[in-house]
Amino acid sequence: MPKLAGYVFSIFLAVLLHGAVVGLLLINWQAESSEPTRIEPLYISASLIRQNPIQIRRREEMAAKERAEQQKAKEIASRRQARESVLANKKLVPVETTDSTQDQAEAFTQQAPMVSARQEPQLKRQLEEQFRLQMEDELTLAVMEEQERRKAVTDDEKSMAFVAQIQQDIVSNWSRPPSARNGMQALLRVFLVPTGEVVEVVVQESSGNVAFDRSAILAVQKAEQFQVPAVAAQFERRFREFTVLFRPEDLRL
Amino acid sequence: MNEPISILHLILGASVVVQIVMAILIMASLVSWIMIFQRIFVLSSIRRMANVFESEFWSGNDLRSIFIEIESADADPIGIEHLFYSGFKEFTRSRQQYGTQAERIMQNVQRAMRVALSREEERLEASLPFLATVGSTSPYIGLFGTVWGIMNSFRGLATANQASLSVVAPGISEALIATAIGLFAAIPAVIAYNRYSAQVEVIMNRFEAFSDEFSSILNRSIQNR
Repeated sequence: MPKLAGYVFSIFLAVLLHGAVVGLLLINWQAESSEPTRIEPLYISASLIRQNPIQIRRREEMAAKERAEQQKAKEIASRRQARESVLANKKLVPVETTDSTQDQAEAFTQQAPMVSARQEPQLKRQLEEQFRLQMEDELTLAVMEEQERRKAVTDDEKSMAFVAQIQQDIVSNWSRPPSARNGMQALLRVFLVPTGEVVEVVVQESSGNVAFDRSAILAVQKAEQFQVPAVAAQFERRFREFTVLFRPEDLRL
Repeated sequence: MNEPISILHLILGASVVVQIVMAILIMASLVSWIMIFQRIFVLSSIRRMANVFESEFWSGNDLRSIFIEIESADADPIGIEHLFYSGFKEFTRSRQQYGTQAERIMQNVQRAMRVALSREEERLEASLPFLATVGSTSPYIGLFGTVWGIMNSFRGLATANQASLSVVAPGISEALIATAIGLFAAIPAVIAYNRYSAQVEVIMNRFEAFSDEFSSILNRSIQNR
């Protein structure tokens, strides 16, 4: 019965081999797919939300606060002006008064001790008060300036994000004509309305190739609507009208 | 979602048709490997026996004593021994019957040896057709499973409202496993088929040469009488 023994042995070997292959596959498979790099597609989801009264109130409050701040700034400015004129007068006044007794003193830091020495507490208090007020005003002005500057920076950053998004939209809608060559460039001027819809596209600088220009115009028109900042000032500054430069850089022609 | 998709999940999650295809292919692969191993043993043992026998045959021993030795063994003679055994048996029987009619005796001997030769060829080539079938058809079977699986996954894509790659990818992946198994079964089978048919040809040539030599020896022994 060597024939049967041969069969049994070969069955054993075959099963062993398949088991080994399956085992290796199971082990390697898991290790391989443990780190999948997935690029999430960009979804733009739009949803209708009702503004709740709290938010509206908060916004109103914010607006009121802003208005108040503006007023305050104005006040401070006017107060400063007034103070400056007062100081100008004061300069004259103490000089006059001290003139009769002694002399010197130009800045009020120097003035104060002089005045106190002269036993005029009312004037001294007034000066001190004024000094304190001035310091306070300057501080608030500096804080406001700083805030404004920071706001401008974030606005710029935000509009950069929008610009990038617009670029991406246009590129994804752009199908270059086969006649496109490296070195061609078309400059388009695009006009938007605040909702981001394209109202007009004009060729500002033609590439010299009609098909290329047309493809660029079509790319913008196909995009139809861009995402633009909701803040009106930001929109007006950069997105009301802007130019787009089309260059077939990634073509290897 | 982010956890690694194991091959086991893919196989278990495949549709019934694809699973059947995979089962068929795995069976085919298993059986073809059994054949491959079994053929190795059979062919090598036949070659070894032929070597031993030929050295004994050409050592100048008496042919009758070799014949008796083969006959007394309990197993049926295989390979080159089978050729010798049937040829010599026919030779002794025909000589008793026809005496000195050399041509008739040799005709019978050659016919008997040809029968033995074809038996041996049959034995050598057993299961080679199976390997050939596996080698040529299992890629197609695997392809069928893959096409079916991809068909299904695209049908699922049509009903999904958000078409993304991650919806179809698992289906395609599981469908491609069928092709992979088909190739896994087919490649060794084709290689083994080619290799073994070449080996069988070599062995058969050797047997034919031996039967010619043996019949010429027998012929000479009749003429010398």
